[in-house]
Amino acid sequence: MIPMPFSKVVPLAGLAALVPDGASVALGGSFLHRGPFALVRELIRQHRTYLEIVKQSPGYDIDILCRAGAVARVRAGIVAMEGHLGLAPAYRRAVERQEIELEEHACMTLTAGLRAAAYGVPFQPVGGVHGSDLPALNQWASVPDPYGSGENVWVIPAIRPDIAVIHVNEANERGDARVYGTSHWDRILSRAAKRVFVVAEKLAPVASFRERPELTLIPGFMVEAVTVVPHGAWPGSCWPLYEVDYPAVETYMQSEGLPEAHLAAAPECREPVHA
Amino acid sequence: MPERWSAFSYLVTNLARFIRPDEVTFSGVNSTPPMLACLLAKRAYDFDFVYINVAGGVQPTPSVIPRSSSDPVLAEGSTAIFSNEDFYDLCTRGGMDLCFLGAAQVDGLGRTNVSAIGDWHAPKVRLPGGGGGAVMLPTARRAVTWRTEHSRRTLVEKLDFVTAAGGLHGVVTPLAVFELRDGSLALRSWHPEASLVEVQRRTGFAFDATGAAPTPPPGARESAALRSLDPDGQFEREANVALR
Repeated sequence: MIPMPFSKVVPLAGLAALVPDGASVALGGSFLHRGPFALVRELIRQHRTYLEIVKQSPGYDIDILCRAGAVARVRAGIVAMEGHLGLAPAYRRAVERQEIELEEHACMTLTAGLRAAAYGVPFQPVGGVHGSDLPALNQWASVPDPYGSGENVWVIPAIRPDIAVIHVNEANERGDARVYGTSHWDRILSRAAKRVFVVAEKLAPVASFRERPELTLIPGFMVEAVTVVPHGAWPGSCWPLYEVDYPAVETYMQSEGLPEAHLAAAPECREPVHA
Repeated sequence: MPERWSAFSYLVTNLARFIRPDEVTFSGVNSTPPMLACLLAKRAYDFDFVYINVAGGVQPTPSVIPRSSSDPVLAEGSTAIFSNEDFYDLCTRGGMDLCFLGAAQVDGLGRTNVSAIGDWHAPKVRLPGGGGGAVMLPTARRAVTWRTEHSRRTLVEKLDFVTAAGGLHGVVTPLAVFELRDGSLALRSWHPEASLVEVQRRTGFAFDATGAAPTPPPGARESAALRSLDPDGQFEREANVALR
């Protein structure tokens, strides 16, 4: 019998309490898909402030955090609600009023910075970028190929978030976590960050992870804490369990200020949270 | 009078016409028209091509057509999940034949601005940001964009900010189709209910129009494919695009 370590499962409020004001927080998922939105809402309920948000393609998450005044800085590649929903209005307003600082990336330059952190090196080359105004804006350097091809490559300094929060389909009490469908950018986020938090749709037996270890995206030893929030990626999707709740997103977008009704209607407030 | 060839159909059909046999073709986030174009090409054309998308799909057979072009249903039926790092790395090492990228402003050199209108540091409008553009536009073999508005404020002489450079291979608007020729965007064709003069009047950059002609109307299979993808017209309504 393998000894059972203590459980890493905590309540949602307990997980959010582990995020200090001013932390650099990387959020998993992409746009309205499999984002750790329950945790994002809980950060707002706990009045977190001065956060730095790191995500290649944030949308709902950055928008609602901007509405709550929880954000100081964003490092992102593309920000939108997506498709017919258009731009993320609260985020857009916050940048236009210069209330938050934006470090604008291409999704892959942000990833290059995360790769540098994950690889344990100070910077990381990235393909492309030539001719863009982004390097001058961000004071990125380019270096000649030291092996003499004559090619110049842009190099991105390491980006090491304090915390990565990943919403997953299944986890176990040791922290092993797996997703179904695309992993978006979650793998590199989990390797680049100093601490990894998991929000899971449900707990699954350790034995099921042992049967299919190749399905595990994040091994438990890298994970500090897990919380279980069924439907926690609402109003976004979590494949294959549920789709985007477009009426809820549209209602959110039509509301003004801190969306109290939206926060109160969230699944983590409606359904019993198992700890 | 409503146009005979709807602006929405013009946009999607002409994006699809950039797709070539056997090539690796990609559609990304915030890209409903190219997503529809890739799915249209699968249904309307006799050739095969490798359709990959930002949802990780590789030759997917989605059971529904999603409103979000990054919806995980776009990986349904896929025999592999090709995640974000995979398709970007494929692109930078030269393996992406055709890539559809978004743009707010396009200049005559086929560069894009998706960052800000006005001064970047004090923007009049903060735009979404380039996403894949700065990395994919210079490294994909061909990159094609679309604009739902054809005007001097979207097709500009000078970009407010250069998000991505490298020369778009093609640009499709409700009014016209441009393609890169000798490093500059040249007019390939215009909406058959418009004219060369109208394209010139509504375009902010100067362009070569040698050989340009009215766009060939949609074929029966192209029209049928688009109808099958948008049977109740929801995509067309939400795209909210018009020739004028």
